[in-house]
Order: sequence, then structure tokens, then C-alpha cells
Amino acid sequence: MGEGRAAIATSGGVDSTACAALAHRALGDRLICFFLDTGFMREGEVEEVRNLLTSLGLPLKVLSVRERFLEALRGKEDAEAKRVAFRETFYTVLGEAARAEGCRIMIQGTIAPDWIETSGGIKTQHNVLEQLGVDTVGRFGFRILEPLLELYKDQVRALARYLGARVEASERQPFPGPGLMVRCIGEVTAEKIDVLRAATCVVEEELGRLRPPPGQYLAAIADDRRSAAGEGVASAAASAAAVAAAAAGLVPGARVEYLKGRATGVKGDERAYGRMVIVSGDDNGNGDGDGDGKGGREPSELFGLPERVIHEDPDVVRVLYTVGTGRGTGRGSYVVIVRAVDTRDFMTAKPTAVPLVVLKRIAERVLSDKVSTVCYDLTSKPPATVEFE
Amino acid sequence: MTLHIPVMFMGGQYNHLIVRALKELGVESRLIQPSMTLEALQGVDGLIMGGGPHSVTQGLERFGRATEIVERCTFPLLGICLSHQLIGKILGGEVVKGRRPEYGRTMIRVIDPDDILAGIGSEFVAWASHNDEVRRAGGRFRVLADSEYCEVEALKDERRQVYGVQFHIEVADTPKGKEILRNFIAICQK
Repeated sequence: MGEGRAAIATSGGVDSTACAALAHRALGDRLICFFLDTGFMREGEVEEVRNLLTSLGLPLKVLSVRERFLEALRGKEDAEAKRVAFRETFYTVLGEAARAEGCRIMIQGTIAPDWIETSGGIKTQHNVLEQLGVDTVGRFGFRILEPLLELYKDQVRALARYLGARVEASERQPFPGPGLMVRCIGEVTAEKIDVLRAATCVVEEELGRLRPPPGQYLAAIADDRRSAAGEGVASAAASAAAVAAAAAGLVPGARVEYLKGRATGVKGDERAYGRMVIVSGDDNGNGDGDGDGKGGREPSELFGLPERVIHEDPDVVRVLYTVGTGRGTGRGSYVVIVRAVDTRDFMTAKPTAVPLVVLKRIAERVLSDKVSTVCYDLTSKPPATVEFE
Repeated sequence: MTLHIPVMFMGGQYNHLIVRALKELGVESRLIQPSMTLEALQGVDGLIMGGGPHSVTQGLERFGRATEIVERCTFPLLGICLSHQLIGKILGGEVVKGRRPEYGRTMIRVIDPDDILAGIGSEFVAWASHNDEVRRAGGRFRVLADSEYCEVEALKDERRQVYGVQFHIEVADTPKGKEILRNFIAICQK
């Protein structure tokens, strides 16, 4: 990279942490690490990342820019519009910070799935620019250097271990650059992010206790606006009835509802921005009423369900199973979705067989006057992706 | 001597994973573009063509030199997903939009293991992601495998070592994928 100083954008995730540790070995004090506090971080994460990076001896500067991101996203519901707005704000902020530090080079921990998904039009990863032909020097004032481009997540973890990163760093749960934003389906509001952040705490605590823990586990949030049928299909009602009949084969007395929002998926190497279907059993997710939390089908018995539903309605990308609904406290305005997958490299993934009793415990803790329903995502990748937008 | 099996990049999500899997098995590999001519491929031990978002039902113009390579190559060739469909089409088969597209887990049923599916067993789990599919009728190929929803999951040219698989052998969720890739490497070794 020649003379001069370089900056690296770090998130505390394994990719950028391994990349920063590698760059620090090569550049020493010519390197500065930036961490953007976008407002989409998890509970306590800003402090955690600060501790993690400083413990590795990395020179760190935290940029507090919550308002700028919330402002950039205001009124945007479409997943790609949100991702592009995030990327633009992200690099504008980084460009300003890099200029102030006299850095002309920006190092990034971009890995193979990032550029593969972005170049393939599946989703705009916030850290992919040059592969899309964006002139970073002209627009943001820096050139980009990406030493990990050829690697997949399991290979990056091996690199992080080799570089002596602590276990917490090398085995850390993947967390996307745009953070909770891509798990906040539809428009982003401060309240929605707060509810999601609290739910994320519960889900990480409960699922982190599973042995072995799932490859990745997270919570997502959607506005609780539903309809009885899909849209854009020739006979939406008939199709919904067929979907319900297909689901009933696995869930007795199944009720099927469509969420209003859309989520990102990948079908036949093409981006799919499709509907989410909620399947509820006749117990409405609340068990058989004897209070032992039992009753209802185990998720592992339902892994064939998305296939059946999507055969009836190809516009569907995710099938969610109700594991808890609010009782007595009135209907909240959000649905919280629990997602857990097992995967080697995040290119494909299958849903984890989380025991129903664990999901019901999560539901009990998450349901509130703001959260009406808790669901578990039964969909593999493909046709869904791991994250929601 | 190290074998050299490049991977033709057809725009799909998993093409780069094929390179990774080949390298892990000790084969020299890299992504090449579909503009590569058959002449420029002289000396390779075999070729794998990846999946991609296009559809062969929309015509073959957009596939660059890939069609010519499928028609005339004398080295072993393996087409995955879209490229399986391309091979099926060029060998006289019909490619249509699937009535029941497969996304994610599917169960492959082996009809005729031949050499490419040797030692895999009569049924195995694979990951697939496709909208189109090859039909059995009329093609100058043997059908090596099918599934409940797709009648040609694997095929072989009657005359050459040209193979197609509709499912993805290169992803971690197809547990037998590496064995199938090993079989193809063994074919390239001969």
C-alpha cells in the first residue's frame, strides 16, 4: 500500500477484527481503527467492542453517529433502499473521519460471501463498493484494500485463531455491519429498534445456552400487520387456502396469515423479495393450557413445511411458526421472529432444531404490550437468507 | 502432478465455493469467464461450469462461449445447476420452468450411478436451488438420478465424459458433494 496511514472500519465481528489484527501486524502505528456507533448495535455492544479491540492492542476511535443513520433511513421501508442508504451514510462518515486522520487507504474485512451476494444482486452488503464500480477515491476520498476477499467465515475464524485473537473474537456470532437495521423489517424507528434490542438479549441468552449452540441465532422484528391471503397471485384467496391445506398436513388445524412486510431470500441464484407466512396451530402457540409449556409441534417436525407452502405460493420466502401469543395484555404492535441456523460458511444454512420448550420460554420473556406474537423461522437458505433484509 | 480444473463463472452464488472445494482436494483451480474459448482451455484436465441466475429457456446467446465448449470439448466436463440445464439443452433435451421448483433440501434418488455417482448410495440429501429443470424426453443423455419433484437430477452424455447435476455438490449442506467431486476428479485423472 505504500507510505502513509491507513484506516480500517471495524465492527467487532470476526471478519473486521481478524483483518485489523493482520493489518496492525503489517502497519503498526500507521493504522487507525474506526468503530461507528450507528445506533443499531446490541445491548452493551459499543463497550464490548471497545474492550475487545483495545485488548488486542488496536488503536481505536469510536464515532458516535446515531442521529445521522436514523435520519438517512426515515420513511424507507424497502430493504434495498435501506441498505443503500446505510452504505452511503456509512462511507460518508468514514470518509470524513479518514480525512481528519490523514488516511488515503481504507482497509476492509470484506469476505467472499459479501461480494458474491452483492455482485449477484442478492443484497447490497454495505462494505462492497469497488466490485459494483463505485469510484471510492472520487466519492469518499480513499482507496480500498481488502485482504480477506477470497475467504469464507470458517476460514476467517481459523485466521483469527492463528493471529492469536481471543476465543470470544474468533468464535463471535456473526453480526452484520448494518446491525439491527437488517433485522428490523420495514421502516426503522427508534422504538422498534429498542424492542428488537431487548428481544435480541433474551434470544442470545437462551439460545447461547444450547449445547452445541446454533451456528447463528438472532431476533428480528416486523410490524404486526397481517392479511389472510397473499397478493399478486391470480387467485390469492384460493392460493391461501391451498397453503393452509398444505400446512395442515404438518400442523393440525393450521391457520395461515401473511405478514404485510417483505423479506429477502435467494431462489435459483436470483434475489427474491417475498412474503412471510405465519403458521399457527390450533393451540395458538400457547400450549395445551396446563401451564407446563408443552403442547404444539416441535420445530424439528416442521422442517418440511416451508417446502410445502412455497410449492403452493412461490411468492413466499419465509415460513414462520407461532410459538407464543400475548394473552390478557392486549395486542402489541410487533411480531418478534426467532431465527437460528446451522451452517459452515453461511452460503447455505438449515434451521436449528431448537426445542419448543426453549422457544416458549423465549416467548414468555419477550411478549409484552408491544409484542403480540413470537414466531420461529423454519426456512433454510435457500430460499431464505440468514438475515431478514 | 497437480491436476488443473478451472471453474467457469456463470454468475451463481456458489461458483467460488467450487474453486474452494477443488483446492481443498489438492486440485489447482480458478474462476474463468464464459468468454474463454475452447482453444484457450487447451491443456486443462477438466472443467466445471457453475450455476447462475439466467435461464436457458430465454435462448443460448447470453452464455458466451460456454455453448461451444459444451458442444465440442474433449476433456471431462461437469455442469452444475444452470450449466446442467445448458448441457441438457445442447444434448437435445427440453428445459422448462419447473412445476415444483426446489429451494433448499431435497432427496436425490440414484437411478444409474455410472462413474460420477459411484459409491454414493441409492439415495442422498442434497441442497438445490432452481426454477428451471431438464426433461427426460429426447435428450442424447442418460439419466443418472431424479427426485420426487425433478425428473433429471443428474445426466451423462452418451458419447463423452460430460456430466450434469441439478443440485449443488459444492455446498456444505450436501454431505456427499465432496465424494461426487472426488469421482469427477478421478475421471479427470484418467
